Amino acid sequence: MNAAAGGDTLRALSRAVCCAVALVTSAPAAAEVPAPQTLHAAQTPQPAPDFELVDLDGALHRLSDYRGKVVVLNFWATWCPPCRYEMPSMQRGWDRVKDEDIVFLGVNVGEDTDTVFTFLADYPVEFPLLFDEKAAVIEAYPVTGLPTTYIIDPAGRITHRAVGSREWDDAGLLAELRALRRAP
Amino acid sequence: MMAAMSAHSPHRFTTVSRAIAWAALSAATAAAAELVTGTDPEAQLPFWEWREPGMSLRLVQRLPDQSRAFFLARGFSRDDVELIAGSCVFQTVFKNLSTADAPAALEYDLRDWVVHAGAQTRGMKTREDWAETWARRGVPQSARIAFEWALYPTRQVYNAGDYNWGMSFFDLAPGDAFDLVIHWNQGGERRTATLEGMRCAPDVDAAPGEPL
Repeated sequence: MNAAAGGDTLRALSRAVCCAVALVTSAPAAAEVPAPQTLHAAQTPQPAPDFELVDLDGALHRLSDYRGKVVVLNFWATWCPPCRYEMPSMQRGWDRVKDEDIVFLGVNVGEDTDTVFTFLADYPVEFPLLFDEKAAVIEAYPVTGLPTTYIIDPAGRITHRAVGSREWDDAGLLAELRALRRAP
Repeated sequence: MMAAMSAHSPHRFTTVSRAIAWAALSAATAAAAELVTGTDPEAQLPFWEWREPGMSLRLVQRLPDQSRAFFLARGFSRDDVELIAGSCVFQTVFKNLSTADAPAALEYDLRDWVVHAGAQTRGMKTREDWAETWARRGVPQSARIAFEWALYPTRQVYNAGDYNWGMSFFDLAPGDAFDLVIHWNQGGERRTATLEGMRCAPDVDAAPGEPL
């Protein structure tokens, strides 16, 4: 046994326990703090199901056309509070990385263009918003609730998932997206 | 032993230390768990919230009129909307508050949850139950899609930082009182809590400024 390593181990364990105790003692406040900006990494990235959907202008978007880029694929609806909450930060995040081979696609579930057009008066968004009116695309993905966002690497594989809203202009999240551009 | 594992298997050590952190956290959970009630600042309606280290579940009353307005606008008939409005609806927000330092996946299934209302004991009314109802009643597809995605998911796995919103149905009458027993798994441990003294929103017809 290596004594130095043993000391490191004890220190790491005591840090872990302290962290846990600190979380316990701050429990009543824990529900009030913003959710951490985390993405859950897939253990084995799987191919993202391809699809073709039109945007507000009627232009066709095929997921496979974005091969070679990182895709942030967000399933949402106008009536969904956390979807509305994260939309401004998605716009800001897209604005920061739009020239870096990172694409944001918002897939609206079950609503029509008039509804989304009205929504955009309050939530201006410039990245493509696509229409899955019959919910055929969302059924092809393992989504159980809105919003759910998948990160797709340049090879077309789902590498990460986020359930619920995130701050998409968070520096750490954008760094994760940028790092994926180098994925094999 | 741990030092050797640390030297040769840093990933395994990280996993072990996270597991220990989570174990320490959950060991102290009972003392820290609490039911918080009050008025939701956004909805201005009563809420019941269960909080423990690593999770929170908030249930906020929805007035029958809110459900009528929401679902009429999404293609349901007046008869269908009355069925929804009279089914005791709550806005539901479930969060996995575990952190990257001690991540613990959280999993639940609404079909395990139990409603105690007077002498009755029953389950919740889930997406799947409603899908059968709408198929029988011939509800249009666009309305069924809106309904499905507006409902709180029947089963879900939340990783650290994940959360979700949605409507839950308790299949009780407006104004009914009940206790809700919830179950979930987190960090490999099955957890149970009881939210006592819940009440479905009344079906009120109040003028502006009048108390509900």
